[in-house]
Amino acid sequence: MVEKRVKYLFPLPALIVMGIIVIFPIGYNLVLSLYRWNLASGGHTSFVGLSNYVGLLHDARFWNSLRVTALFTTGALGGEVVLGTLLALFFHREFKGKGLVKAIFLFPIAATPVAVSLIWAMMYNYDLGIINHMLTSIGLPRSLWLASPKTVIPALIITDVWQWTPLILLIVLASLESLPQDPFESAHVDGASPLQVLIYLTLPMVRPAIVVAAMIRSIDAIKTFDLIYVMTQGGPDVASENLNIYIFHKGFSYFRMGEASTLAVVLFMLVLIVNILLAMLRNAGEGARRRKGGSAT
Amino acid sequence: MRRVALILLALTVLSGMAFANGGQEQSAGNDQAMTAAEGFNWKAFEGESINVIVNKHPWVDIIQPKIAEFEKLTGINVSLDVYPEDQFRTKRTVEMVSGTSVIDVFMMMPGNSLAQYYTNDWVEPLNQFIDNKNMVWPEYDLADFYPSALGAGERDGNNYTVPLLLETSLLAYNKDILAKYGVSVPQTMDELEAAAKTIYEKSNGKTYGITLRGKKASATSQWVDFLHSFGGEWIDDQGNAAIDSPEAIAATKFYGKLLREYGPKSAPSNSWYESISIFMQGEAAMIYDASVFRPNYEDPESSQIADSVGYAVIPEGPAGRVPHISNWGLAIYSGSEHKGASWLFIQWATSKKIALEGQLAGIPSARASAWNDPEFKKADPSPEWTEASKKSYELASPIWNPPVINVGEARDAAGSAIVAAILGEDVDTAAREAAKSMNKVIADE
Repeated sequence: MVEKRVKYLFPLPALIVMGIIVIFPIGYNLVLSLYRWNLASGGHTSFVGLSNYVGLLHDARFWNSLRVTALFTTGALGGEVVLGTLLALFFHREFKGKGLVKAIFLFPIAATPVAVSLIWAMMYNYDLGIINHMLTSIGLPRSLWLASPKTVIPALIITDVWQWTPLILLIVLASLESLPQDPFESAHVDGASPLQVLIYLTLPMVRPAIVVAAMIRSIDAIKTFDLIYVMTQGGPDVASENLNIYIFHKGFSYFRMGEASTLAVVLFMLVLIVNILLAMLRNAGEGARRRKGGSAT
Repeated sequence: MRRVALILLALTVLSGMAFANGGQEQSAGNDQAMTAAEGFNWKAFEGESINVIVNKHPWVDIIQPKIAEFEKLTGINVSLDVYPEDQFRTKRTVEMVSGTSVIDVFMMMPGNSLAQYYTNDWVEPLNQFIDNKNMVWPEYDLADFYPSALGAGERDGNNYTVPLLLETSLLAYNKDILAKYGVSVPQTMDELEAAAKTIYEKSNGKTYGITLRGKKASATSQWVDFLHSFGGEWIDDQGNAAIDSPEAIAATKFYGKLLREYGPKSAPSNSWYESISIFMQGEAAMIYDASVFRPNYEDPESSQIADSVGYAVIPEGPAGRVPHISNWGLAIYSGSEHKGASWLFIQWATSKKIALEGQLAGIPSARASAWNDPEFKKADPSPEWTEASKKSYELASPIWNPPVINVGEARDAAGSAIVAAILGEDVDTAAREAAKSMNKVIADE
C-alpha cells in the first residue's frame, strides 16, 4: 500500500512550487479584479463585484488597447511566420558559408529586447535617425515612424519582426531537417515540380512545426511589453498602447490595482483563447492528414 | 488576566527600550558638547548608512561627485541611486506602497506629489529637526530659502520637503535665427505665433519656429503656463475639471497649432529631452521650457548654439503673463530607520555652499544668498537669463499641476487633449473627454 502511494509523493514538491508561483498569483489576481483598490489615495479596498468588468465595456481606452494588441499581434506574427518559413526553406540546403550566414541571421534573438528597442528608437528618430537619413539620401521623403499614430504600429512591427523572425526560422528549419527523405524521393521519381513538392509535400509536413512556432510567438506578441514601453510608452497619446501597456499604466502610473487586475484577467483569457484556437488548428491539420493517409491505404 | 500580564510585560520592555535609546542619545549628546559648543555635531550618526533615490537631474550631477565629502564629514555611508524621471516616480511610489522600503531620502516635487505623499503618510514631518537646536547646523540658515519654495513643501504648519532648487519656465530663443529673419523677441502670444510662422515659412520649413514638449503628460507642465495666460484653470470653483472651458480650449488649440504648423513633426513623441535636443541642434528658433536647461543650451560640448541663446519671460496672453514656479526638494520616508542621518544629508545637500555651486553651474537656487552672492554676480554667464528668471518668479503662479492626489492620471487626461491638438484632431471633443476622465479621478478621491 505504502509503495503504491509513494509515487504521489515524488511530484509533490514540484506541484507545491507550481502552486505557489503560478496558481496562487492567478487566483489572487482574479480575486483582486473584484475589488476597488486605489493605492494612490490610501489603498483601502472595497469589494465591488463585477463592476470593474462592466466598467471596461464603457472604457474607450480599453477597446483601443484591444485593437492595438490585435493589430500588432497579427502584423508581427504574420510577418514573422512568412519570413521565417521562407528563410528556413532558403537555409534548407547546402551552400558555402551556410553556418556563418545562419549564425548572423540568429543574432537578433540573442540581443536584449530593451537594448534592441533603444537602438531602433534612435534609428527611427525623425530629425536625427539613420533610417530617415537613408530615405532622404535616396530621394524618398522622411517618415514620422514612432511620432505619428499612423506609422507607429508598423514601425513597432518592423522591429518585432527583425528580432523574432529568427526564432520561427530556427524551429521550422529544425523540422525541415528532420523530415524523412522517402516521400521526396518518390515525388522526384513521379516527376513532381519543385513548386508542387513545396506545396503538397514540404509545407504540409512542416505545418505542425509552424503552428507551434506561431503559438510561442503569439503568446509573446499578445503580451508584448518591453519593446513598446521602451520605444513609445504607448504613445503618441494611446496610439500604440496595447493591453499590457495599459495594464502597466493602470497599475503603476495610476495605481488602480483592482482595475489593473481586471485587465490582466482579460489579457490572460485572450492568450488562452488564441492558443486554444491555434491548438485546434494544429489538431485539425493532423486529423486531416490522418484521414487522408487512411483513405490512401 | 494572562493577557493583561502579557501586555504589561510588553509595555515594560518597550518603555525600557525607549529609555535605553534616550539614554544613549543623551550620552552621545554629552560627548558632542565637549567637541562642539553648539550641540550640533556632523558626526552624531557616524557609522549609519542611508539609501537615497534621486531622479536624473542636473542637480544630481553637482552633488554626486561630492558624496564622498559628506561621508568623510559625517561618517555616514550614502548609497545614491539615480533613475530617469518616469521610472523614478514609479519606483518611488511602488517603494512607498510596499510599506517595507529601505529608502531613507528621496527627491520629490512637492507641487507634483506632496498631496499624495502627505495623504498616505509616506513623508516624515521635518519640524522635529528644524525646531531642535541640536539638529540644525548653525550655518544652515533656513530663512535664506525663498518662502514660496519652502512653502510648497508645507502642509498644516509642518515642512515635508526642503527645496533644492526653484525653477520657472522661460522662452529661450536663438538670437542668430531671430536676427537672420528679422524677428524681434515676441512679447505677446500673437507675436509668438507670428514669429514662429515667419521663421518656419521664410526658411522653407528647414528651421522650426518653435519646439515644445508634446508627449502627453510631460507636456502639461509647460502647457499649463499657456492655459493660465489664456485665462484657463485646471479646476473651477466647484472643484470640477475646467480643462474644457473656452479659455482652456483656446490655449490648447494655440499650443497645438504652434507645434503642428511651425514645430517639429515629431512633437507628439517629444518630451523635454527631445525638445531641448532639437533646440540645441539649431533646428528650432525658440523653445518654452524649464529655466534649468540654460546650462544645456549653453554647453559648447553638446550644444551647437551655445553662444547665441537669449531668454525672455512667457509672452503675454489674453489673461497676462502667467508662468509657474516649481521646485524639487528632498524628503525623508516616514518608515526610515535613519531619520537623523537623513536629516544631516538633507542639510548638507541643501546647504548654502552646494546651492551656490549649483547656481554657478546654472541650477536656479531656492536660496536668496546664492542669487545675491558676489561670486555669482561676477561669474554670471548669462545676466539675461538671471534677469528673466527673477522677473518670471515675480509673475509666477505656484500652481502647475492639477490639484488632485492622482496627479499622474489627471495629467495624462489633459495630455491626450494636447496630443489631439498637435495632431489637428477635434480639440473640443478631446478636451471634453479629458475633462470627463479628470472628473472621474476627482470623484474617486
